[in-house]
Amino acid sequence: MSYLARRAALFALTLLLISVVTFAITHVLPGDVAMMIMGTQSNPTALAGLRESLGLNDPLIVQYGRWIGGMLSGDWGVSLRYKEPIAALIGQKVTASAMIVVLSLLIALATAIPLGVVSAVYRDRWQDTAGSGIALAGISLPDFFWGIVLILLISRGLGWLPSSGYASPTEDFWLAFRHALLPATALGLSLMAHLTRMTRSAMLEVLGQDFIRVCRAKGLGRGAVVFRHALRNAISPVVTVAGLQLGYLFGSIIVIESLFNYTGMGWLTYQALLNRDVPLIQSSVFVIAAVVMLANLVVDVLYTLIDPRVRLE
Amino acid sequence: MKRREFLASSSALMGGAVLGPGLHSIAAHAADQPVRGGTLIWGHSETTQNLDMHKTGTASTGRLLQNVHDAIVTVDDNFTVIPSLAERFEESPDGLTYTFHLRPGVKFHDGSALTSAAVKYSFERVKNPETGAVNFEVFNDVAAIETPDDLTVVIRMNQVNAPFLSRLAENGAGVIIPDGSGDIQGTTPTGAGPFKFVRREFGNEVELVRFDDYWGGAPHLDGVLSREVTEPTVRLTGIQTGEMHLINDIPLDRVDALKNDPDLQVLTWFPLSWAFLNFNHAVKPFDDPRVRKALDLMVDKETLVQGALWGQGVVTASPSFPTSPSYNDGLAPRAQDYDAARELLAEAGFGPNELEFVFKTTTNYPWHVEATQILVEWFRQGGVKASVQQLTWSDWLSQCWVDRDYQVTMMNFFTLWEPDFLYYSLWHSTGAFNYRNIKDAKIDELTEAARRVVDPIERAEIYKAVQKRVQDEALDVVLWFRNGTVAARRNVGGLDALVHPNGSNLQFKNVWLKS
Repeated sequence: MSYLARRAALFALTLLLISVVTFAITHVLPGDVAMMIMGTQSNPTALAGLRESLGLNDPLIVQYGRWIGGMLSGDWGVSLRYKEPIAALIGQKVTASAMIVVLSLLIALATAIPLGVVSAVYRDRWQDTAGSGIALAGISLPDFFWGIVLILLISRGLGWLPSSGYASPTEDFWLAFRHALLPATALGLSLMAHLTRMTRSAMLEVLGQDFIRVCRAKGLGRGAVVFRHALRNAISPVVTVAGLQLGYLFGSIIVIESLFNYTGMGWLTYQALLNRDVPLIQSSVFVIAAVVMLANLVVDVLYTLIDPRVRLE
Repeated sequence: MKRREFLASSSALMGGAVLGPGLHSIAAHAADQPVRGGTLIWGHSETTQNLDMHKTGTASTGRLLQNVHDAIVTVDDNFTVIPSLAERFEESPDGLTYTFHLRPGVKFHDGSALTSAAVKYSFERVKNPETGAVNFEVFNDVAAIETPDDLTVVIRMNQVNAPFLSRLAENGAGVIIPDGSGDIQGTTPTGAGPFKFVRREFGNEVELVRFDDYWGGAPHLDGVLSREVTEPTVRLTGIQTGEMHLINDIPLDRVDALKNDPDLQVLTWFPLSWAFLNFNHAVKPFDDPRVRKALDLMVDKETLVQGALWGQGVVTASPSFPTSPSYNDGLAPRAQDYDAARELLAEAGFGPNELEFVFKTTTNYPWHVEATQILVEWFRQGGVKASVQQLTWSDWLSQCWVDRDYQVTMMNFFTLWEPDFLYYSLWHSTGAFNYRNIKDAKIDELTEAARRVVDPIERAEIYKAVQKRVQDEALDVVLWFRNGTVAARRNVGGLDALVHPNGSNLQFKNVWLKS
C-alpha cells in the first residue's frame, strides 16, 4: 500500500512539473493562437480584440491558474482554435490512439514470442537465420516505410483494408478494427523485431542453465521444457520491455497517424502545437504523460504476477 | 518465395487493381443522366475550423459551408450580382438605399421560414463588432435595416458604398441564418443551403445530408461525407484505391500523372489563387523603387511558373480576377533583363554583391519554398546576395504579417473578384492587410475614390489605374495565378458545376454518383 501511495505522489508531482514546463515552453514560442485563427485576415485592431476575448492578455500566472484550476475541477475548457470542448476531444482521440497502440502491442507480442522461441530452439539453423532476418529488417527500417509498403500491398494492391481514416469503435467496431489494423501493424513491426531478439537471447540464456538440463534428464518432453520451464523464466524482461514500449509507442505515434490520416492523440497534439492553442497543448501533453506513467505502473504490477519472486516495496 | 518472384507478383497485383476497374468504368460512362442517391466521399485538403460562417476566416471552412448556407444574393460566372435568397433587389439611383424582396416559401434547416426578421438578425449580427465576424466592415456605412413586411428588407446607407452589394454576394457577410440562431452556429451550422449539417468528428470527418426542402430543388446526392485529409499523398492513395470519390488540391507535380489514370477524371481550373513577391517598404533600401524594379527585372516569370508550379498556373501582372471588369490586360510583367537590373542597382548605390538581404518564405506552401530557391539563384546571378529563411506558418504570420519584421518575402491569396476588398485592404496605406508598409499617395487617392463611384465601368477604370501604379513602382511583384485542381473517380457526374465562380468554393448541389 505504501508503495502505491508513494508512486501516486510521485505521479502527481511529475505531472505538475510537466504542466509547468509545457506552459513555459509554449509561451516562449513565437506567435499565438489569435494570429493563427485570423491568419491572413487579421489586422492589428481585430487581433487585439481577439486576444482580449481569448484571455491572452492576462498575466501568465493567471492563465496557468485558470487552466490547472479547470483541470482539477473537471472542466477542461474549450479549444481556443477549434471551439470544441477539450475533454470530449481528447477522449475521442485517446480512444483512437489507444486502439492502434494496444493492437500493435498484441501483434508484436503474438509474433515476437513464437519467433524468438523458434530462433532460440533452432539456434544457428535456418529457422534462426530467418527469424533474425525478419527482426533485423524490422529494426533497420523505420515504421513509416513499412506503413507505405503495407498501404501499397494491402490497400492499393489487394484492396483488403482501407488505406486511411479512423472510425469510432462504439459506432462500428468491425470498421474501426479494419481502419486500425494497418497502422497498428506498421507501428508494431519494429517493436516486434526488438522483442524477437530479446526473447531469443533470454531463451538462449535460460536454455543453457542447469535446471533445464535437469528437466530434460528427468524425461520431460521438449514442449514442456521449452514452454513451461524455459519460456516462463525468460519472458519477464520481454514483458517489461513491451510495457515500457507501450508508453513510448503512445508518445511516438504521430508519424504513423499522419501517414494513415488516423487522427488520434499524436495528430491532436501536433495540431495544438502548430496553432499555439495553449489549453489544448497543456491538456494533451498532460494526458500523454499520464498514460505513459500509468503504463509503467501497470508493468510493475504485472511483473509480480509473472515472477512471484518480485515484491513491490 | 524468391525476391524476384515476390516483385513480379506484387507488381501484377498493383497493375491489376489499377487497370481492371478502369476498363470497366469507361464502359459504364455512357449514360449521362443525373441519378438520385449515394453519398459522395470527399477527401478535403484541410481541417475545418470554427463552423460559424459569419466568424470563420478560413477558406477551408467556407469551402464546406458553401453547401450548407445561401447568401442573400450571389454572382454568376461573369461576377454580376444575381438573386439568391432575395428573388429581386433594387438599388436607389443615389446609391443610398437597397431594397431586397425575399423569395417566398424558403425554409431553413430547422424548419423555420425565411423572413425579413432573419435577414435583419443576420446582418446586425455581422455588423456588431462584438460578434467577431470577419467581414463586419462590410456594414460600416449601413445606417438602418428596416423590415416593412415579412418579405421586404430595406437598407439605408450613411454614404455611398459602391462595393456593398457585391460584398453581400460573398458567403461571409451575406449568409442568412435563422433569427436568433447565432449561438448554435459554431457547433451546428444551420442555414438555407442545399445540404444539412449532421455532425463533425473534429479533424476526421464532417457529414452533410440532402435538404429535401431546398428552395432551389433538392440535390441529387443523399449526402456528402467530407473526410479531412491534410496529407496530399494520403488523398492520392484514397482516390486511387477508390476509398474517396473526389479529392481537391492535387500536389502540383502529380497532376499530369493523374490525368493519365483511366480510373480518374481531373478537373483543373483557373485561377484559384495569385501570388506576389513582397518588399518591406519600411526597411532600407526597399523603399527605393530602383531597388525593387531591379529585383523584378531579375525574375523570369514564365520559368518560375514552370519550375515552382509545374506549369499549373499562368503568369500575370494584375491580381484582379482575370474575367472581372477590373482586370488590366494592358499590363505586361517585366521581362528578365540583368543589364537593366544592374544599372538600376548601381544608380541606387549598390555595386555587384553589395546588396544583401534575407528572403523569408513559409513552408506552409511548398511551392513558395521552391519559388524562393529559384528566385534567390536569379538574384545571385544579378549580383545580389540573398539568403533563404524557411518559416513555419505560425512563424511567418508572427514575423512577416503581424510584426512586419522582414526584408523580402512572398505570399498568395485566393483570387478575389471584388476589387475594393483586394486593392484597398492590400495597398491602401491604412489597409488592413498592408503588411508591406506601403505608403503611396496615388494609390490611397484612387482606392478611396473608387468607394464613392457607383458606375461599374468608371470604377473598373480606377482599379486598372491602381494595378498600373503597383506595377510601375514595383510596389510588389505580382507573379502568377495558380490553378485549382480536383480529381474524381469516373463515376462522379456533374463536375462542370462543382467549382463556384470565385474559384475556391466547391458546391455539391448538382453533383451526382453513377451507381
